[in-house]
Order: sequence, then structure tokens, then C-alpha cells
Amino acid sequence: MPRRRDIKKVLMIGSGPIVIGQACEFDYSGSQACKALKEEGYFTILVNSNPATIMTDPGLADVTYIEPLNVEMVTRIIAKERPDAILPTLGGQTGLNLAFFLMKQGVLKKYGVESIGASVEAISCAEDRELFKKAMQEIGVDVPKSGIATNLEEGMKIGLGIGFPLILRPAYCLGGSGGAIAYNKEELEKFLSKGLETSPVHQVLIEQSVLGWKEIEFEVMRDCADNVIMITSMENVDPMGVHTGDSIVVAPAQTLTTEEYNNFVNLSKRIIRRVGITGGGANIQFGQNPQDGRIVIIEVNPRLSRSSALASKATGFPIARVATKLAVGLTLPEVMNQITGKTTSFFEPTVDYCVFKICRFTFEKFPHAERVLNTSMKAVGEAMSIGRNFKEALQKGIRSTEISRFGFGADGKDKISDEMLQKPENGLLKTVRDKLRTPNDERLFYLRYALKLGIPLDEIYELSHIDRWFLDNMQQLIETEEELKKYRTHNEEVKVPIALMQKAKADGFSDWQLAYLLNSKEEKVAEFRKKNNLKPGYKLVDTCAGEFHAKQPYYYSTYETTDEARPSKNKKVVILGGGPNRIGQGIEFDYCCCHAAYALKEEGVDSIMVNCNPETVSTDYDTSDRLYFEPLTLEDIMHIIEVEKPMGVIVQFGGQTPINLAVSLRKCGVNLLGTSADSIDIAEDRKRFKHMLDKLGLLQPENGTAFNFNEAKEVAKKIGYPVLVRPSYVLGGRAMEIVYEENTLERFIKEAAEVSGEHPVLIDKFLEDAIEVDVDLIGDGETFIIGGIMEHIEEAGIHSGDSAMSLPTFTLSQDLLKKVREATLKMAKELNTVGLMNVQYAIKDDKVYVLEVNPRASRTVPFVSKVIGVPLAKLATKVMLGKKLKDLKFTEEIIPKHTAVKESVFPFNRFPGVDVILGPEMKSTGEVMGIDADFGRAFIKAEIAAGQNLPKRGNVFISVRDKDKRAIVFIAKKLVDLGFRLFATQGTAAAMEKNGIDVKVLPKINEGRPNILDLMKDGKIQLVINTPSGRIPRQDEVKIRSQVILYNIPYTTTISGAQATVGGIEALVKKELGVKSLQEYHKMKSRIKSPKSKKSGKHKA
Amino acid sequence: MKAALMLADGKVFPAQALGEGEVIGEVILNTAVVGYQEMITDPANAGKILVLTYPLIGNYGVAPKFMESKKAWVAGLVMKEESRIYSNWQAKQSLGDFLKEQDVLGASAVDTRTLAVHLRQKGEMPGIISTKTQDPKELLAKLDNFKKDTAASRLTAISLSKPLHLGKKEAKKRIAILDLGITQGIIKQLENLGLAISILPYNTSAAEVLQQKNDGLIISNGPEEDPGLKEVAENIRPLLGRLPILGIVTGHQVLAKALGAKVVRLKIGHRGVNYPTHNPASFKGEITVQNHGYTVETDSLRKIKHLKITAFNLNDRTVEEIESKKLKILGSQYNPVCPGFSEVNNLFKRFLKML
Repeated sequence: MPRRRDIKKVLMIGSGPIVIGQACEFDYSGSQACKALKEEGYFTILVNSNPATIMTDPGLADVTYIEPLNVEMVTRIIAKERPDAILPTLGGQTGLNLAFFLMKQGVLKKYGVESIGASVEAISCAEDRELFKKAMQEIGVDVPKSGIATNLEEGMKIGLGIGFPLILRPAYCLGGSGGAIAYNKEELEKFLSKGLETSPVHQVLIEQSVLGWKEIEFEVMRDCADNVIMITSMENVDPMGVHTGDSIVVAPAQTLTTEEYNNFVNLSKRIIRRVGITGGGANIQFGQNPQDGRIVIIEVNPRLSRSSALASKATGFPIARVATKLAVGLTLPEVMNQITGKTTSFFEPTVDYCVFKICRFTFEKFPHAERVLNTSMKAVGEAMSIGRNFKEALQKGIRSTEISRFGFGADGKDKISDEMLQKPENGLLKTVRDKLRTPNDERLFYLRYALKLGIPLDEIYELSHIDRWFLDNMQQLIETEEELKKYRTHNEEVKVPIALMQKAKADGFSDWQLAYLLNSKEEKVAEFRKKNNLKPGYKLVDTCAGEFHAKQPYYYSTYETTDEARPSKNKKVVILGGGPNRIGQGIEFDYCCCHAAYALKEEGVDSIMVNCNPETVSTDYDTSDRLYFEPLTLEDIMHIIEVEKPMGVIVQFGGQTPINLAVSLRKCGVNLLGTSADSIDIAEDRKRFKHMLDKLGLLQPENGTAFNFNEAKEVAKKIGYPVLVRPSYVLGGRAMEIVYEENTLERFIKEAAEVSGEHPVLIDKFLEDAIEVDVDLIGDGETFIIGGIMEHIEEAGIHSGDSAMSLPTFTLSQDLLKKVREATLKMAKELNTVGLMNVQYAIKDDKVYVLEVNPRASRTVPFVSKVIGVPLAKLATKVMLGKKLKDLKFTEEIIPKHTAVKESVFPFNRFPGVDVILGPEMKSTGEVMGIDADFGRAFIKAEIAAGQNLPKRGNVFISVRDKDKRAIVFIAKKLVDLGFRLFATQGTAAAMEKNGIDVKVLPKINEGRPNILDLMKDGKIQLVINTPSGRIPRQDEVKIRSQVILYNIPYTTTISGAQATVGGIEALVKKELGVKSLQEYHKMKSRIKSPKSKKSGKHKA
Repeated sequence: MKAALMLADGKVFPAQALGEGEVIGEVILNTAVVGYQEMITDPANAGKILVLTYPLIGNYGVAPKFMESKKAWVAGLVMKEESRIYSNWQAKQSLGDFLKEQDVLGASAVDTRTLAVHLRQKGEMPGIISTKTQDPKELLAKLDNFKKDTAASRLTAISLSKPLHLGKKEAKKRIAILDLGITQGIIKQLENLGLAISILPYNTSAAEVLQQKNDGLIISNGPEEDPGLKEVAENIRPLLGRLPILGIVTGHQVLAKALGAKVVRLKIGHRGVNYPTHNPASFKGEITVQNHGYTVETDSLRKIKHLKITAFNLNDRTVEEIESKKLKILGSQYNPVCPGFSEVNNLFKRFLKML
């Protein structure tokens, strides 16, 4: 059926900041949707609070709002823009929930907006546990025994009725947050009350546990003519009990018979029809009893999801694009398959390879969190790998996760060495068995230890319930490993039968692993292979297993007989991506990589993307000219370079991953575009960097390096405590700490030495209460222009990735700004920057100290680009190709008339009990932007967007350390003036009372009731201001701060944060928040004039 | 043991042998991820060398309940990697053991992707798998002989020699199946419809069919390009218009021949589980299972009176379905497999309405 003509303007809701459970995949789906709507001639309006997305690039949608994602703000956008339809299925759970609440609250009806892609009924049917259960029973689909509780008592009754273990799932929660497994009555009670709190509708599903069953997923699509297709099946290697977002997943399913497969397809069709999706896709999760094949349905996502992004990348089928087209009334046979260019989308993709998805965890950031996996998602990112067999895909997958591993063990980095495994001490076997039994982030490697220890396959299966088929494949890798070891030499010589080497490479062994096993060197293994003509060939992801010639496929490497790569004769450039999302390296870098590809296209140069993150826009089939879905290791990259022979490689955009490879790539003779490898080295090497600053007459906090505790002690004594200590070559401030005394220093040195091997520990003087400033700059070797100067809201010492920051600055004097500018330009010139550069400064007592220089795109590039309306990454790419900024007409720093605030978003709710205070170690997963005419309003928008529902009235609890007692008085006064009631602990209250502020004193937690915990629980506290008392926080403080997360109460842990918060509240109280699009801010002309809404003039309000 | 797979155009693929010996046959590709046991035991694949494009084969083993017929019919099976273990609660045997038992020569460790792309470019052709020799000249000579050979009909071996009655004895409708290689999957669906079923030998004459007082006749799937099919087409011509007839896959081609249409060869067969068919009168289609290397020419069908083409292949516009309300004829080029559980394919329901 032709596309709908009765709708002209479509509103899309994005998914907001990157959080655990919702990552870049919704930028991928949202930007595909924008493109698809544009192709069909619709006028699109987009709202998303996340500036680091491709979808919020002006030009993708006709009107782009970077505003908080809540009913109030989106209603305002609807009132202003008057869309005909809303597409709620491409913005993750956030977008879907928001659309749902807009429906429930009558906003859509009031403004005559139709929900396309999924109707209210469809969303309710899939999301409302009770409706869902009924619907499934109606169509004969088994569901686990369950009941729905809306209060504790009811829940206990249901739970005890079903029997333990039980799975608890709060309704309308993304990524299974608040989900838990209860093994006994106590746990049931505990998790139940937590779940009831977490669920926005206070509903918890209590479900019979199907722990240990197989978890099978299907991606299904359906159009308005009732055509249904399966995109792919997926099998979770980790069985039921581990959230699918945390599971290792393979596509297609490996252990289903034809009959079982057909039954799953049959059920999937029944389900998508019953749920009532008439133009879109769904992800369906099943559990299957491995003993008798019994199937139960676990859940349906009536929208694009993380799994659908994976399915899309695994098969080449652009699910988001097609889903969008179906939502506007097209049918599958009418939408072309762009990969083949021949077939239509009414076609089920089939694969001739094995896809492996593996998660990236971040437990090292939260040392106090329990290192176990369950039904509440914990992974921050994922990598996908493709191989011609499971073994190859598995090893490539591990390499792709950027955890410094080179495959399935055997890389000299195993926690339990081969020697220990040969003579296992008492306790080791038990540890290994425990690690198999309780799912955890290291289980994959413990499977290896278990196999090496000779624990029988059946026992490993009984412990882990991981299918024997996967275990046997792992066993095969270990056998190959043992076989290889027989050819160890003593002189690093590689002497292996070619057939064995061929087999090892085909099973995914990296040269690094082979070098380790053969007691040789990576280069020597590579040399041996080259001599024997053993190199990988590239095969295609073409949706059809080779049946049709593919027009726009992508590539993966394998060791077989032919190479299907099609290097062009054009000029070409390789862009190295950033790999899986993790804390410190996220979507911002993918944004930059995409812009590099767009810029290359504009310049007529072929772009070749290398990345392994299935969630991203950069791994979309049409972002670059050729995409290689490969791990980002030197070996894998060099193979691609040898085939493609590009004119150069861009390492500036993928974050620290490619930067770390820069020097090695240069050594291999690769031409790096932009700032030279030598300049990169100057910036990364402490000594050379210091030398440069001295030469330029710039200040740096006093510092030194040390290889052991004694040296460190000396350095610290010389420069004076407090000091900031960290290992060299870090990412996202990992293992960074502010140290106030010798004891802590000693402990740190012990731990840090483990972190980075032979690299020294770096010691800096820590500047207390300094203002931190971030500067982004672009240079072409001759001209250097500042992109933006951002002032941090939190003081120096809090990781720049975790700080809120404002562009333009809001307290710095012109004089200081001048100093910052001069310093930045001096360094840019000295480093001969070609491309982007980021500098971090600390300002104390009117002195500007250089903290660090990153000769690459920084986390803030997308934020700055959106605030000043200039695509910095795109310009930087063109500059790297030899263009001059003058030609590109960017010759002057833009100081925006409006203000934008970037705020960070934290995953504390995933790690119960973890303290929420900020420090030099980065903890945030994502960011949002608030933009408005002044700082106060921009700040409050940013806070609201980050999930801090700042109140206009109510009660505020204040408890600050002695140092902050003076500063808090002013803040408290303001709060009282604004009409808030204050509560405080004794000490803080005394300081306030002395200044004539009315405050109610609360007893200490263990000294009386009701205390602050009780008040929070009862919903009587609307804001918490709590600065940590010291380096080792008191227990009751931690309790307060973790309860803040549990009850989702806005909070701040710094004085500067409190000041900004109060300023924001003041702005909020004075005047309602308005909405303004990026196009309006930058006075851009809309691509096409906004068409008149079909219902204009019929406003029902 | 080492083996070689050689195609008629001289291209050689080294392989690891599963079993021993030498087989020659038409090399066909199937792109389905699951279904090896069903494909191996489908009589329509008799004598073929079957290449599976999905690389990991044997994962879920083999079980008697998944046999499409009493034995394996393919001559050879080519794959990338045979699983060392099998893992499924229903499995009784490994694929390797099954192949040995059924005397099918397997070739693993083949770069099946390269093989598939090669066949896509050059078209389907005969091939040989051998563990006896790897000498290209010798292999090529054997292939030349094979091509010259006019193969005898396999239908006598495949089809029943005596009628067999299945299903309900006292059913509302009686249906006959002309057995060119009927599969269990189809029989089960007809049983689920509550029909009385008679399976007839492939060479049953029109008179015999009519004598049995059936309400309808199904011409089953079976090997294409078999010399015996000509006789079948002759046999059923007198039945056209006398009783409702449903032809499936090869049966559909035979039916079309009997109607006077032309059957032509495809460059590369449609073999897999993801083929879209499309009803030209609507936006509705089906994803179908297919396994055929020939197709009925569209123009030749258009010349036949009272006959309509009711579905096309969406990829290449070849004919998927024909229907004549007047003659009570239905033909499907796709294979009307069971849509999961004990459900019945829509095609049979439509046919039932004709009876």
C-alpha cells in the first residue's frame, strides 16, 4: 500500500542519555528512522536530550529539539509544532514510555496526534504484565506461572504460592532495572519492595523461575497487510537468569531442530499478531526447557530494541529503516532491500556465518558492587564479531571487547595461569565451580579454566547450564592450544605445520596468542604467516548467504580460500572506530567517526570504517563506503590496511582505542592523517609534555613520576599533599585517586602497579577548589580556532566526564579567558595540530594550570558542535585531508548568545549500595544537554533531562562537611526565600540557625526516629544536599546517598552543584520552561517549509 | 581422510571426507540454517550433491522422527564444519554416524561460501566428491561420463509400488496422493485435516485414480528432471477437470505440463526457507520453503484458458502458484510445509475447499 498521505508531520522521540540498558542502539535506530521518513517526504520533528547523537544533527530531522524528555516539555513541543503523528517505537523504552504517558494523559488526543508504529493497545498489551499474560494464554502461548503485585502483601502471597526461586520484574522498566531473583522469603520481601518503588506504575510481576532454561530470541516484523517476516533467531549462550543484555548471544540459534525452529516461528507470528503490531518490529524472548523442549514466552518488546539492533547488524537487514517505512503504511514488498539492491524487504535474511555478541562490563569502576549477573542489566556496552564458525567468532569477540585480551585465553593474561591449572591447589576447584554456578562477568574465562582443569563437560553443563555444544567448541580451542604448544621453540622461531597454523587462524587465534603459545613474538608469527601466504580473506554480510550479488554489503575476515573484498581504485581513508561503549568512551566518539565518514563523502574520498560495536551508527551499512566489522587490534587493522591500501588512517575520532594504536600503526608504515604520531606522543608522554609546557611558559600542577612506593613517597612529600595519583596511559580516569596521606598512597601504589604493568605511577599536586575548564580546538597547521571554552560546575578533582559544564563559561573573567585562549593556541601551534585537540585546565587564584592535552576529538565535541552550530568533527576531517579552515569559512571562535549545560548521567541504580559521590574516577555512562537563554534555565533543563526532578516546592535535606558550612548558608537562605522547608543534621543545622535560618533538626540515623531515611521513604524529601565529610565517608552518609538513588530523589554532593541547583530552581519558579529548536538557535533555514498540519485550526483546547 | 569436490567446470574444492568413496550428482545449494536431516531424506533431492551454505552443521544431531522418508536420498553432503557433538534433547544420533549408516558421502571443511558464489555466477552444474582420487583429470573424465549418461528414472525406487491407505478410514473426504516422492511432513498435515488418504504409485493411470472414488488428487513433490515424469504428465492429462487436483513443487510442474505449459530451468535453483511469494492482486504474500531448479514458464501458462497465476516469486517474478476455479486445479511451486506445531499449510485448506 502506498505510504500514508493523510499525515505530513511526524514527531520522533529519542531515548535520551546513554544509560545501562539503553545505549547507542537508539541513535542508530532513530537516525535510520529520520532518514527513512525524509526519503518518504515527511516533515520530521525530533526531540532528544542527548547531544552526542547523530540523530540530533540538524539536517537529519527538519526540526530538532534538545530538550528534556518528559511529558511537560514534549507537550510543549507538540503544541508548538502540531505534528500529525508520533513514532514512539524507535526511541527505546524511554521513548515508548513517554509516548505512552502522553497518550494516557490525553495529550495526543488533545492535539490530534496519532501514534504510528505501535498503537496504545499494542504497547499496553506488550508492557502491561497482566494484559500480556492474558493475551498470551488466549493464543495458546505458555507463560511462566506468575502473578502481579501492586503491594507487598499481595506480592508475598503470590510468591509463596508459586514457590522459589522466583523472578521479579517491575513493569515499565528498561533493561530489567529493579529485576531480581529471590531464593527465599526474606529476599522476596526485600526485592519486592524495591521493585514496587522502581516501577513507575508500582507493579511487579512475580514469576516462576525458569533458571537454566535456554533463552531464545526472535526478531519479527509485520506490516499493515499482515505480512510477517523473521529477521533472525538468536540463542543466549548464558541461559535464563542472566539478562539478555548481559548474556553472550549467538545468531542464529545453534541448537534448535527444524521442528523447534518452526514452532518458535509459529509462536512469534501468533504473538506479533495478537499484540497488534501493524507496522513495525518486535523482539520476542522465549525460554525453552532443554530437557523436554517446553517453551514459555518471557517478554515482547513492541519496538526497536538492543536485540533488534544486534539482529540488524548480524544479518544486514536494516530493521529500523524498514520499521519506519512500515509505520507510515508501506508494506514489506514495497520497501527495497538496499544491501542486495535486487530483492525487497519481504524476505527473510539468511546467514552463512556465526555472529557472536559479547558484553562489556564495568565492575572495576564500582569496586563495592557485587560482581554477579542476574536479571537486572549491568553491561555498559557490547561488541559483535563475525566468523565462519563459533570458535572464530568467539575469539574475535573477546578481542573486540577492549579488555586487553587477545582471544579465549592463551594470551599470557589469564588470571589463573596454566601452571596453577596443572597443579590446582585446594580451593581453586571450588572457586572455579562457584564462578561457573553463579553467573558473573568473568564466567567465560572460568569456563576455560574448568575445561583446562579437566572438569567433565557434563559437570560444567550442570553447573552453568551453558549448552554442551558451546562448551565443546571451547574445548576444541583448548585442544588446538595444546597442539600448538608442542611446537614451542627456545629461540622465538616459529616452526609450526602450515595446516595447524591454518586451522588455528581459522579458529580465530590471534598472532598475539600464537606468539604466546609458541614462545615467540607477534611480529614473528605474522612474518611466518606472510611467508606461507596465510592471510585472511574478507567475506560479506549480504542478507542472503551469497544467493544474490550484493550491492552494499559489509565485511568480516576469515581464513578461507577466497577474498571477496572489493577495494576501489578511488582515494580512500580508513576511520578507526571506538569499539564497545564503556565508561569513558561512548557514543561521542562514534558521533565523530560518522562525521568523518560524511566529510570524506563530501570530499569525494571513499570512507572505510572499522568498528565492532553493533549498537552504533558508524556500523550502519550506509554510513561509510565500506564497513569492516572487525576487532580494533593492530593485527586485525593491518590486514584491512593491506587489502585496502588507503591514503591514510584517522585515529583522532575513535577515542583512546585508536590513539593507543597510533604509534604502532606509524611503526608499520601507516600514514596517520592529522596531528602527527610524534605530537600524540608528546601529549601522552609526561616528560616530553612537561618539556613543552616549560618551553611555552605554561603552568602545570607540580608533579612527578614513581615506579614504587618509596619514590612516590618522596615525590608526594616534595610537592605536598593532597596529590592526584594515577597509572600512565589511562582511559576515563581509571584507577585515579586523590590522596591526602601516606597510608592511602601506599595502598594505591600496590593496586595501581597491577593496573598497568611496567608503566609508572603519575603524581600531580591536587589543586583543591580550583575551577576546571575544558577547551576544544580545531587546527589546520596554520590556523587554530577555539571551538568552545567550557566551565565545569563541579570543582577540579571530579572527572571531567562526570562534571556538569557550561558553554559559554559563567563565572570566568575576561582576563582569565584570555589566558586560557592564549595557552590553548600556543600549545596547538607547538603540537602543530591538524584536526581536533582538547585541553583541560584548572584555575586557582587567577592562575591557569594545564591538566592535560588530548590531541584527538574529545567527549565534548558533539556538545560544542551543537551549541555553536558548527560540525567540528566534519571540519576536522576536511582539514586532515589538506583543506584550510579559511576555505571552510571557520575562522573565528563563536561565543553563543544562549547557554548550554552538559550534565552527566550515572548508573548508580544498577549497583545497589554503591556510594554516589564523585571523584577523579569517571563513573557516568552518558550525558544530556540543557539549552536556554541563560545559565539557570539551561542548568535546570540539563538536570531534568538527567532524571533529577528538581522540585519547585517541598522539603530539602541538607548535611555538609565543616568546610562547606559557610558556603551552605547562602544556599539555604535562598531555598527558604523560594519557599522550601529545610531539614538538617545537627552540625549543619547549627550553622544555619546561627545565621537566622529556620531549620528542623533530624536525629542521627541510629539515634532516633523518624530520621532522614524514614522521611525519604515516605516521600517527604524533595531534594538532598549532602557533601561527603571526608575521604572515608561515614556509614550513615553512604546510607543516605544510596537511598537517594533508590527513591529517585534529586541530590547534589558538591557545593558548586548545590549553588547551580538552587539557581536553577529559582529560574524554574520564576518562569515556566520554554522549548526552542536547534534550527531556531542557529537561525538555520529548515530543509523544507513546515507543511500545514492537516488539523491546523482545529485545536481542541 | 582427504576428499575433493570437483565441479563440471573444473573448479576443485578440497575437503575432509565423512565416509569414503565417490559420488557424482547435480550440485545444489540450500541456504536454510536448519533442516539438514529433512533435506537429506527428501526424495526430491535424490542423487544430488547437497551443499549447505550455513557453516555449522550437525549441531542438533539426527532423530528418527525427523525423517521425511524412509532413507537418505542425497548422494553427497557438502558443508563447512560438522559438529563434533550434537546437543538437543530429541537427538538420537550424530549426523556423521547417520551419513555413514545411510551411505551418504559427506565432505566437510569446504569453503562453502566460495562454492555458493561460484555456483551463483556459473549456474548449477554436476559435481563429484571423491576420496579415491584427487587428480583433476581423472575427476573431470568421470564427470564427462556422467553428463553423457542418460539417467534412468528414480521414481520406481522412490515411489510406492502398491497403494497405501492412511488417515481416517471413515472420513468426510478421501484424497489420493500420487507419490513422486511424498514427504512425511506433507502426509502429517493431511492426516491432521482428518482426511482419508491413499498414496498411489507414481505410474497409476487416470482410470485407476478415478476408479478409487477419491474427492481429490495431490501430485506430490519429487525429483525434477526425471525421465519418468513425462509418463506421469500423460497419465494425469485425462484427469484434468474430472477431479480436483493439487500439484506441489515437482507435482506442480507435472500438472502444468499436463495442462500444456512449458517447464524451464533456472540458472540457480530456489532452495531455502526464505522465498517471498506475492499475490499480484494484493499486498499480501507469504514466506515459503522452496527446493526446485525448474520453473513453469509464465507466458506458456497465460495461454491456458481458465487458469490464473495467483502468486509470483517476489525476487525474480517466476510463477509460484496457479489456480483454476473451473478445472478445480491448484498448483504450488513452493513447498507447502507445516507452519509449526500440528498446524496445516493454507494451501491444503484452500484445496480442501475445492473438494
